[in-house]
Amino acid sequence: MDQNRQGARASYVALSVFVALWILAPSAVRRFNREAFVEFQAPALNLLGKSRDMATFWEKKSRSVEEMAAAGRDLARINAALEIQINKFEDIRRENVRLREITRYNVPAEYMSVVARVATRDSSSWWQRIVIRKGRNDGIRPGAPVVFGNTVVGRVTAVHLTTSEVDLVTSPGFRCTAYLEGDDQNHIVLVNGVASNSLGTTKARVSVIPRDYSMPAGQPARVFTTGMGGVFPSRLMLGYLDGGTYATQVGNFKESLLVPSRDLYNLQEVSVLVPLHQNPGEALMQGDQFQ
Amino acid sequence: MKEPSDMRVLPSTPVERFRLYGVFFFFLAGFLYVIGGLVYRQLIQSTDLKEQSDTQSRRVVLRPPARGRIYDRNGFPLVDNRARWSVKADLASLQKEFRSEYLRMLAAEKAREAVSIDREKLLEDARVRVLQGWLNKVWFVIDETNRNTKVRKPLTKLTPVTAPVERQINILELRKHLRERRALPFTLVNDLAFPGTGQALTADDGTKSVARFIEQFPVEGPIRLEQDIVRTYPYGAMAAHVLGYVKDTDTLPDNVDDISEVRVETMQKLRYTGKTGAAGVELSYNNVLSGRSGWELWSKTSSGYNQTRLKYSEPEQGGNVMLSLDYRIQQATESGLAKLKDLQGNLLPAAAVMIDVHTGEILALASQPSFDPNRLADRVSSKYYDLIEESGGWLNRATQGLYPPGSTFKVITATAGMRKKVVDWDDSLDCGAFFKVGNRDYPEHEPVGFGEVNLDKMLAVSCNVWNYQVGIRTGIEALAAEAKRFGLDTPLLQTVSDFETGGQPMTELPYAASRGLVVPDREYKLRIGAGAWNDGDTANLSIGQGYLLTTPLHMACVAASIARGETRTAPSIIHSLERNGRHPGALPIGLNPEQLASLRGGMLRCVEEGTARVARIPGLPYAGKTGTSEYFKNGEKAHLAWMIGYAPADYPVVAFAVLVEGQTDTNTWGGKTAGPVAKEMLETWWPIAVKANLDDKPKVPR
Amino acid sequence: MGWAWLFLLLATYPWLLGADLASDTLASSSLIFFVSGTCLVAPCRRLKRWQAVLFAACLGFLFEARRPIPDGTLALSLVAIAIFLSSNRQLIRNTPSMLRVAAIVNVSACLIWFLASSYGSPSPATNLAGQLFLQLLLSCVVGTLSLIPIALTQNAVLDRLNVPPAPDTP
Repeated sequence: MDQNRQGARASYVALSVFVALWILAPSAVRRFNREAFVEFQAPALNLLGKSRDMATFWEKKSRSVEEMAAAGRDLARINAALEIQINKFEDIRRENVRLREITRYNVPAEYMSVVARVATRDSSSWWQRIVIRKGRNDGIRPGAPVVFGNTVVGRVTAVHLTTSEVDLVTSPGFRCTAYLEGDDQNHIVLVNGVASNSLGTTKARVSVIPRDYSMPAGQPARVFTTGMGGVFPSRLMLGYLDGGTYATQVGNFKESLLVPSRDLYNLQEVSVLVPLHQNPGEALMQGDQFQ
Repeated sequence: MKEPSDMRVLPSTPVERFRLYGVFFFFLAGFLYVIGGLVYRQLIQSTDLKEQSDTQSRRVVLRPPARGRIYDRNGFPLVDNRARWSVKADLASLQKEFRSEYLRMLAAEKAREAVSIDREKLLEDARVRVLQGWLNKVWFVIDETNRNTKVRKPLTKLTPVTAPVERQINILELRKHLRERRALPFTLVNDLAFPGTGQALTADDGTKSVARFIEQFPVEGPIRLEQDIVRTYPYGAMAAHVLGYVKDTDTLPDNVDDISEVRVETMQKLRYTGKTGAAGVELSYNNVLSGRSGWELWSKTSSGYNQTRLKYSEPEQGGNVMLSLDYRIQQATESGLAKLKDLQGNLLPAAAVMIDVHTGEILALASQPSFDPNRLADRVSSKYYDLIEESGGWLNRATQGLYPPGSTFKVITATAGMRKKVVDWDDSLDCGAFFKVGNRDYPEHEPVGFGEVNLDKMLAVSCNVWNYQVGIRTGIEALAAEAKRFGLDTPLLQTVSDFETGGQPMTELPYAASRGLVVPDREYKLRIGAGAWNDGDTANLSIGQGYLLTTPLHMACVAASIARGETRTAPSIIHSLERNGRHPGALPIGLNPEQLASLRGGMLRCVEEGTARVARIPGLPYAGKTGTSEYFKNGEKAHLAWMIGYAPADYPVVAFAVLVEGQTDTNTWGGKTAGPVAKEMLETWWPIAVKANLDDKPKVPR
Repeated sequence: MGWAWLFLLLATYPWLLGADLASDTLASSSLIFFVSGTCLVAPCRRLKRWQAVLFAACLGFLFEARRPIPDGTLALSLVAIAIFLSSNRQLIRNTPSMLRVAAIVNVSACLIWFLASSYGSPSPATNLAGQLFLQLLLSCVVGTLSLIPIALTQNAVLDRLNVPPAPDTP
């Protein structure tokens, strides 16, 4: 069986050579390889999401007619209330546009909203991300904020042909600025995902809180986006300051934890806010200007 | 199916069997190594360091505290701390980039067949290039002009030579950094909110560029974001002379002795850069504001990097100080002063004070020209320093500026005359175009004179001849004594407070004139070697000229004292609810009711129809007295414009003084120049006071 | 049959997908069901070495594709394991030894993945030791339990493809 042993040795040598080549090869090769495997899996992920939808559908289908009728009635009521609000908002929007024109106010970043279903979730000690079933084909670009209702879910980190990966708020790759409820001077604070505790709920860190900030009494303080950084629209909800751990002092600032306002792992659908114009950060991400 | 192992087709020697175990043990060992390493670190972090302290060398890092805030009397922060976000490059993780850039450049040099290659220089160039690349990226993100535009300046065009200084890597600084603090990250942008030192950005723009960096710049990589605290003056140059500014200090804080570990270490190793007050309230209340320094005890690796934080104590923020200033009145005062310009359009040096008649609290205290303490809080550019120096902006003219008070002194001359009974309130004196003292004519400012003048008219028209007569009749002794009775020779803003100083006397504003105040008399003139006192000197003194030197704050206090019918007012820059309106050393003014009423009536007439009528405010009758005194500026004669007074006339609440230094070529005249400033101050104050009275009971019941 | 490894991969992929789906339910705990190592065991008994190598590489790349770890870390490690196993088939000659090898291989591959992702992450995770311990424990249990069904599927496919059985079928 010397032959077998020799064959093994040759294989190991070949592997070492390949490893060396792999390291020395231009990064495009590795990127292409990764992309290829992602695209290979894309249909399966799509299928996975679809089957999940199907499961939900059959689950709904199994409900009694009475139940559905009651749910429909509730929805109709909510719709009626929302319709009134929509009209109100439309008036406000028009006035806003008019005022902007009068004052020649700089128009903030505008977004195109792309609704996407969640295909799968993926988390580890170092990142929390979801995979959504929309990709480059649907106009999604890296760096775009991802929201659900008025809640921030995360940011797109990688875009493939038909799927995209989204870093959740609690993922360490996520960073944004925020205002705290009850801070009337509107100091900006830093929200940064942290690696999670095992089996604990994942949270993000809120740092650079002014030392004399105190939470509003009797309720958890909400954390909002500032809209200053040119990525997230303003006044989107990021979550609540953790009521259990009171902000601890770090140097001349305080720090606390952010509890996401929704269970980010049970989302079925999100919207990606793709900015109409590319911002500098996005250009930096793509690296097209720096190669 | 089961076969004995030695009958298998494939060979299986004991060695082969052990190979599996070998692999197993290999991974087990790796696993144990990881677990063990983690447990080990956890234990070090949590257990006390006693056993280690002998073997490991340690380092103490001091953490400067945040200074306390300074508020105005209504609780608006005049001095605050803001978070400063700085962008730093981690040199250790850039090592690889430096190297490859260096090799690239080396190859290029060789290809050029350069005669001699300076490798040191090349390596430095490579470092600068790499850092410049990252700095460009930072600027690319925070530059507002790149916002939402499809066509963007190519990055390469943002760089060297023509780029502003803050967009270029400073080679000298990089060299210094590599020499002294190699282990620490290198600062690319010192303050993200105000990235360009010369750039005038609003606070909102500043916040935006911070937010843009945070949200758009890649989180990973060698570029880091760090935060610390920097002193901020939200109103810029407003009240700069009162608030002062801070400067770097390397004096160790007092509480260092509390750290037992520090004493073990050699103290010289301790580096500290904190902030200390350099002027104004920042200096005088420094020990209240400065707080307690925090410290950290780190264990050190053999190569000198900090490794583990063993013990620490967080810094404690300093106490707050509430000033008596009202920022609205302060703003109005300064905007009033800012309208005073010479023929070239430069600001005239000037000062203005407003104090509360009852409590003596200073509501506004402004001095012009001024400076922006924000620009001094961090890395002062010598250019800016020189600019302030040149304009004379360091001097607080309201408390340190010494000037002859001119005709505003006439209220004291009149008081002295009436108390000496050489003149009464209803006596009329004949006042011509000049008054002869000895063989010299002392002129009236009106070429034809004023004719019959009583006290009331004297104050309204500011008649000089009346004062020459009364002054000489009163005599220098009584006149000087009266000026001293009003406290013109006494330094102001001296308080004794247990809280701040433990019973030591202190000055609320640094250098508030404690030397240089002059109330001249015979002895003084002899002392300075100017000869014997004569009647001419007395005549000069009676109209506030000659050797007499005082400050605008003193004259505001004189006005407040007259408003209360007393002799002294102790002003204060600190707001306190415990003030009872008693002023140390204050005596009744010593005039009978008719005399006092006439004195006040004359000051009211001065505003209504006299020299200060340009400053009249319909609906708000107030008392005033203007003055125009002569002084020499660069050897040429120029005029000082004065106005003092109190308001409202019948139940005084505030008193004020305004001083403007005229230039040799400006037409500076008491009421005309200083009056509008007083008017602006009062017009701002009045609605505030009315509102306060509506909200509350009247402030000064009389 | 030259393409056997590819068909085998397609047959194995549902298992990987299933593991991902199951991990989904564990998402909030940051643990995952890791089976990539286990999937490698049975094919190494029957496939030719080069086929096993290709199979292992694809297995690794599939797992890596959606996870931010240095490219090829897991794939190349799996290839090394595949070479080792296919050169030492006596180690996986019967079910008990296969189970043992599955546990070891799965745990080691999981460890490699864990370390690789710690390398690629910007900030250190909290409570790393506990997390690693839980993750390895889980991958050991999952790797052992899932071997039988996965191996059965894979063997069935290989039988269909007329790949000769291993000399010492358990």
